[in-house]
Order: sequence, then C-alpha cells, then structure tokens
Amino acid sequence: MITRRFALAAASLAAMVYAGAAAAQTPVTIGAIEILTGPNNKYGVAIKNGFDLALEEVNKAGGVLGAPLAIAYEDSAGNKDQALNAARQLIGGKKVPLILGPTLSNEMFAVGPIAVERKIPIVGTSTTANGITAIGPYVFRTSLPESDVVPVTLRTAKEKLGVKKVAVMYGNDDAFTKSGYDVMKAAIEKLGLETVTTETFGGKDTDFSAQLTKIKSLNPDAIVVSALVEAGAGILLAKKALGIPDSVRVIGGNGLNSPQVPLVAREAADGTLVGSPWFIDKPDAANQKFVADYKAKYNMDPDQFAAQAYDTLFIVAQAIKDAGAPNAEKIRDALGKVKHNGVMGPFSFTPDRDPADTSGVVVIEMKGGKFQILK
Amino acid sequence: MPEFLDDFLFTYQTLIYALGVNGLLALSMYVVLALGQLSLGQAAFMGLGAYVSALLTVKLGLPFPLVLLAAMLAPALAALCVGAPTLRLSGVYLALATIGLGEVQRIFFINSELTGGALGLSGIPTKGGLISIYGSLALALIAFAFVARSKIGRAMEAMREDELAAGALGVDLPAYKLGALVVSAMLAGLAGALNAHVSSFISPNDYGFDAAVTILSFALLGGIGSPFGPVLGAFILTLLPEVLRPLADYKTVVNGSIIVLAVIFMPRGLLAWRMGRAGAATGRPK
Repeated sequence: MITRRFALAAASLAAMVYAGAAAAQTPVTIGAIEILTGPNNKYGVAIKNGFDLALEEVNKAGGVLGAPLAIAYEDSAGNKDQALNAARQLIGGKKVPLILGPTLSNEMFAVGPIAVERKIPIVGTSTTANGITAIGPYVFRTSLPESDVVPVTLRTAKEKLGVKKVAVMYGNDDAFTKSGYDVMKAAIEKLGLETVTTETFGGKDTDFSAQLTKIKSLNPDAIVVSALVEAGAGILLAKKALGIPDSVRVIGGNGLNSPQVPLVAREAADGTLVGSPWFIDKPDAANQKFVADYKAKYNMDPDQFAAQAYDTLFIVAQAIKDAGAPNAEKIRDALGKVKHNGVMGPFSFTPDRDPADTSGVVVIEMKGGKFQILK
Repeated sequence: MPEFLDDFLFTYQTLIYALGVNGLLALSMYVVLALGQLSLGQAAFMGLGAYVSALLTVKLGLPFPLVLLAAMLAPALAALCVGAPTLRLSGVYLALATIGLGEVQRIFFINSELTGGALGLSGIPTKGGLISIYGSLALALIAFAFVARSKIGRAMEAMREDELAAGALGVDLPAYKLGALVVSAMLAGLAGALNAHVSSFISPNDYGFDAAVTILSFALLGGIGSPFGPVLGAFILTLLPEVLRPLADYKTVVNGSIIVLAVIFMPRGLLAWRMGRAGAATGRPK
C-alpha cells in the first residue's frame, strides 16, 4: 500500500514539475504584420530580418519574464483587408498582447482602430505618415515621422549645396508619398526656397519623361522627390536619360532611403540626397555589431527598416520585462517609459507615442552605389 | 455572448463582412453579364457609393438608412448619365469605356480635397453589421431569383444568347440595358457604403482597376446561369486567401492555380445550373 501510494505521489509530483517546466518554457508570443509577399515585400522582409536578429539576442540573454520571446508573423501582402484579417487573427485567435507593424501607413490607418478597440498596443516601425499615433492611445511608432527628417535634409541641401530653386515630384496616389509631399512643401516654404513646378505621378507609373522634360526646361537647382523605391528609381533613370545634369540633385524622402535604389538605378542614383534616422556607417560599437551580425546572418547589408525593427524589438522586450506580465495594458504603460540606446541613437517615446529624439538624423548622399555622409 | 464565440466573431469579422459585401458586388456584376454586357464600372460605382455614404455620415451625421439610400441613388444617377452614350458600345469597347470612367473617378478622388486625396477618409464610424449586410444580400438574391424566373429573366437570357434575335422578337434592348446598368450601380453603391461603414477607412485605390477585375472574376468563377453562381464565386474567391493563409509563401501560387484549374475545367462557372422558368413546359403532357 505504502509503496503504491508513494509511487502515485511521486508520479503526480513529477507531473507537476514537468508542467511547471513546460509553463516556464511556453514562449511569450507577440504578433507582427508585415508585407512578406508582393511588390512591396522588400520593406517587410527587411523588417522581419531586423526583428529576428534582435529576437535571437533577446532570447540568448534569457528572454523575457523567464520564457523565450516569440513572434507570430502574419503577411499583409500590402493589402488593407489582409492586414485587417491578420490583425484580427492575432488579437482574437492567438491573443497576442502586442502587435508590431504593419509595414505601410495605409495599412496602419486600417488596422490601428482595431487594436485601439481591443486595447492592444501596436507599434509601427516603418509608418512615417502624419496622423499615425493620432489613431488612438494604443498606437505607437518607433520610426521618425517624415516631418522630423525632411526639414533637416532640405536645410542641409540649402546650406551645403546652395540649393535655391527646386522642382517637386510626388506620387499622389499613396498615403505615404502624399504625406511626404505635404511635409516637403511645408519645409520648402519655411526655408524660403522657390518651387518652379510641382509634378505628380502614380505609384505604378514607369514613364516619367513628361514630368522631367518640363522640369529640365525650368532649370531647377534640385528635384525634390517623394516616392517609393520603384517609382523613385524610375525617376532617377529617366533623369539621367534625359540629360539633366548631375549637379541637379535628387532630394528624396524616406522612400528613397534604401539600398535597393542603386540596385535598380545603378549610376543614375549617384548624387541622390536623403535624410535618415540611421546610417550603415555610423561608427558607434552597437551599430558596427548590428551591421556585422546582420551581414553574417543574411548575407546582405541592412537598411534603415531593418535597423528600426532591430531597435524596436529591444524596446518592446524591455517594455514586456518592465510590465512584469504579458498583459496588454501593462505593456502599453511600460512602453511609454522605456529608454533605450540602440543603433539609431537614444530613444524614448513622447507623451503622444512618437519618437522623442531626433538627434540621430544624418543627411547622406549616394556615391558609387553606396550611401555616405554628405560632407 | 460566450467568450469563444465573441473571439471567433472578432477574429473573422472582416472576413464575414467581406463575404457579404463581395456577394453583393458579384450580383451587381451578374445583372449586366446576364444581358451579355461586359461593363467594368462596378468598382467605380462601389467607390461612389462608399465616398458619398462616408461623407454624409462623417460631415452631416445623417441616419444610416438614409445614407444607404443616398449611396444607392448617387451611383444610379451616374449610371443614367453615362449609360445613354456608353450603352451604344458593346463587347470590349464597353469594357474599355467603363474602365476609363473608373479611372477618371479614381483620379478625381485622389485630387479632391473633399475626399481627402490619396490619404482617403478615415474614422468612418461603424454602422453596418451582419444584419444590414446579409439582409441586403438575401433581399437582392430573392429579388433576382424571382426576376430570373419571370418574363424579364427570359428576355435577359435571350439578349445574352443573341442580341439581334432578341431585338427582332420585340425585346426593348436599350431599356433593358439601361435598367440593368442602373440596378447594377445601385447594388455596387450599396456594397460600397456597407463596406465603408464596417472598415472605418477608404482610399481611392480601393476602387481601381484591380477591384473591377476582381468583381468580374467573382461572376465568371461562379457562373452566370443563375444569381446564385456569382455569389458562390465571390464566397470562394474571398475565402481562399484566408483559408490558404497557413501556406504562407505558397499562398498566392496555390490560390492562382485553383482559379486557373476552375476556369479550364469549368468554363461555364462552378454553378452552371440554370434557373427554371415560371410557366415553362416541363415535358409532362398537359
């Protein structure tokens, strides 16, 4: 009898210990919605790479709350409805306490209200349009909005290159490029630059010769462009083909700040000027380590989207640790207080859940297929 | 409501609403295809309904039923205006003209301050729901089922098979064509309004050429022998991307292959069955 009872007790004890160990090993899963397929997937994949790299480091250092951290990825394919479905899957099905992404501002305008309705914090790492965090008190972003970056770029161009007359081109059918234009227009007016013409194009256009021929005849000092990678590279190629001199710089927004641009536009991309919250050759040790690790893991250079994602995951992991439990409300409160020193420089959130520090912005120019700091 | 049901509804809410809205759009395509007309203006009518309804709700705060009515009347009016000149066209020329109209409207939305330009309209309050969406779909289906069995349905089928012969038999071709276009526009406008009031955000690119082709594919996949075919097609094409979500990267490939196979092996649509006719001879001796 005694032995049998003892065996039973031992067995149940073992079961409890095993269950306890399993509970400790159940990962804390957060969600991420990114563009992993389709024409804009270069952004989503870079962001995913950045998350995964940081995730490895977080888990190597012991994870969060005594358990590993995990990310459940959902693809939005750049489509608003699929992004919505993904968010609903993550919140209602997988019950994640926090969502990273989505990739595009347009998608955030659709998904943000759902997260706010369910009181789940959502952190955009690449949503730079105006009004993102105004969606509601659970919407954060770690990417500097264009309104913080573009004025720095234009002021630098004015001071260092003597730009006075500019032509403006923007994609008018996309929330990101349109709001980029709004910021450029405001900055141009504030700096007292002259706008000789404002031309528009569609995000899927491939022929820009009409707009650029007109711009050529007006002789601007620079062309200010708000475009995503494809259209932006097309504009650079057309500018070269039409014989607009290299001294006429293309000044871009965040969309042109990508190593993909020279891959398409080749030497036509030289001279392109953009402002960036992060730069690959930033000399600090944290950044050097990030770039080396990223190259080792993915066999390519990181871009700013990967860098922003990399920092964001550390910020989020810190918030989960500070919250003490994988609870959406606690994580949201903790996020507001996180201070992080990452590859983009010092980071904290403003009370409106935007990045507080803009000191990391550098103006860079394309030379021989690579960005370097503008001298 | 039990928690698991609440979670289920929350998780699949967008999908459940999209099924109903796309069903309505498929019916709006069915009305014109049933006459043998290839019009691709449905996405534009949907956009017009969506924008009109969203503006009325956001700026004027009108009650929802009134907003829905306006969202049906505005595209109907537009259909009347553009119908007269464009219905003289047929086949691909009509398709081209209606694509053009859709593009004109899209570019108007992009450039107009009132409609918020490329940023679209956000913060549209949620007013639609299961009842308004599936109620509309059920009503439209029942109405079409009756029409398909009636004299009008027979005239429509006659026009689809041979317009010249139908005309010679005394079918009033222009009246039928214009009527179908107006009904189609009203349904698309209703679908647009319902969609705008459950998804809180609309932008001009939601109603472009891609949307027009998607709506056409609903009807073609389902088959246009009866109004039920297009709705089935819409349900399948809306569900597929979500059902295939676990396949991740292979999702688009499998999705595309299924559609191609369906079109190759079932050229008349998945539901090739035709509606019976009221008063038709059944083969039994009278």
